[in-house]
Amino acid sequence: MNGSSLQLRVVAAAAISPSLRHLQLASADGAPLPPTGAGAHVLFNLPGAGRAHRNAYSLVNAPGSRSRYDIIVRRVTASRGGSAAVHERLQVGDALEAQWPANLFAPIRGARRHLMIAGGIGITPFLSYLQDASVRQTGCELHVCCRETEQRVFAPWLPADAPVSFHWDNEGHRLDIAALLGHQPAGTHLYVCGPSELNASVLNAAAAAGWPDDQVHTEHFGSGGGGEAFEAVLQKSGLSVQVAADESLLEAIERIGVATPCLCRGGACGVCVTTLLEGEAEHRDHFLSQTDQAAGRLIMPCVSRSRGPRLVLDL
Amino acid sequence: MKLKPSEVTSRPVYEPLRADPNAARHWLILEAGSMDADLLAALGAAFAPVVQRLQVYWIGPEAPTTALGSLAVLPGVVALSQVLAQAQPLTVNDRLCVQGTEPFVWRVAALAAQAGLPLSQVQLAHAGSQRRRVWCTHCHGFTEGVTTNVVDCAGCGRHLLVRDHFSRRHGAFMGVMVDAEQPGFRPAMQEVFP
Repeated sequence: MNGSSLQLRVVAAAAISPSLRHLQLASADGAPLPPTGAGAHVLFNLPGAGRAHRNAYSLVNAPGSRSRYDIIVRRVTASRGGSAAVHERLQVGDALEAQWPANLFAPIRGARRHLMIAGGIGITPFLSYLQDASVRQTGCELHVCCRETEQRVFAPWLPADAPVSFHWDNEGHRLDIAALLGHQPAGTHLYVCGPSELNASVLNAAAAAGWPDDQVHTEHFGSGGGGEAFEAVLQKSGLSVQVAADESLLEAIERIGVATPCLCRGGACGVCVTTLLEGEAEHRDHFLSQTDQAAGRLIMPCVSRSRGPRLVLDL
Repeated sequence: MKLKPSEVTSRPVYEPLRADPNAARHWLILEAGSMDADLLAALGAAFAPVVQRLQVYWIGPEAPTTALGSLAVLPGVVALSQVLAQAQPLTVNDRLCVQGTEPFVWRVAALAAQAGLPLSQVQLAHAGSQRRRVWCTHCHGFTEGVTTNVVDCAGCGRHLLVRDHFSRRHGAFMGVMVDAEQPGFRPAMQEVFP
């Protein structure tokens, strides 16, 4: 097992709901896997129809597991191929390449309490939080906003006594975010992972309730979504590529064989930050400051696109 | 007295205190000997938006009249523990703001942490003397009120070079034996933290 990538094998696969599939992975050669902490994710190379996809999924196995990794993948209706590949193509026994695990959403060790809010499949990082002894010992609470029918599908990963409440979109069952955030003990850390609308409403409610920024953490999922097609010129490589409407700038760069470091592919980690030489970026990341975005000298190619027909990158 | 900038990244950097209009209760803790009229006027303006939910504690002798309204006088930092105990339960939207010398503000921060207020809910600002609390790497003892580059350790008597490396847990700067390499070779003692 070399240092830059992991060779994995699918050892179990099961549909846990019509749109959710659980995969269990072990290393292809039987060697122990790198241990991970609560909140870690792995970036997978997924076989697609016509092209490969690289998607990051949170690990839902107990922290520290060396024998297997577990992921749960939601089939996205407007899938560009990644989640469809997991649902349609991957079978038990298939080999799969992945990057070493990374963690951009670890629980804060000095917290006096952990308050978690998940939207739908955004529950996945918290499934590992709830299996972390120190998180449980500190005190924690998970609120899940999901479809009423999906309340029980995550039960196999939830410890029996885990403090979890489920909420869904029906009278008397919605999560009152403002009320929840209004009275929390000093030193509580808030974590939110869900669709962008939920993340935004929780972050706004936390700010309005006077939470310090340092005690609020969020993980976004999904690529920024598609957009208009445009041309990307890679100055140093002397290459040019047409970025399709349903493809990210990073995927287009990888397609023509230019190596670009990346980690989360969701605009959060900052690893793929690239100097922008010409053109105006449409920033969709959560990494660059507003000042940096306004300055227009940097772009995160994993999620951001172009406002005009052409971008020139220092690649 | 302005603090000198440092290349050492553990050295805290202080910003002027600010009220947080979205937060709930604010406590403002001021060290009597470090404040002057200009600072108090600036604090009066900064905390005006939250004056309805602000309590100001003046640590030291008799309080002056300020734009901050009535000040509660406390004889020393220890009495603050009582204040925080009475304010329980502390919530995530409470804020503690402290201004004074570095040994003072970090002592208050430590008391606040004991009461359950983490540093992310506490703002510290420097005022007054630059004097330092020094932690000896040899005997682990503290030397208080240090204003010189080299100091005799109050614990073990070694001559300590006062470094810019700061411990938030101890609220103190690191002191290392100045003539450990060349016994007897010591730089002249100078007042550098007036």
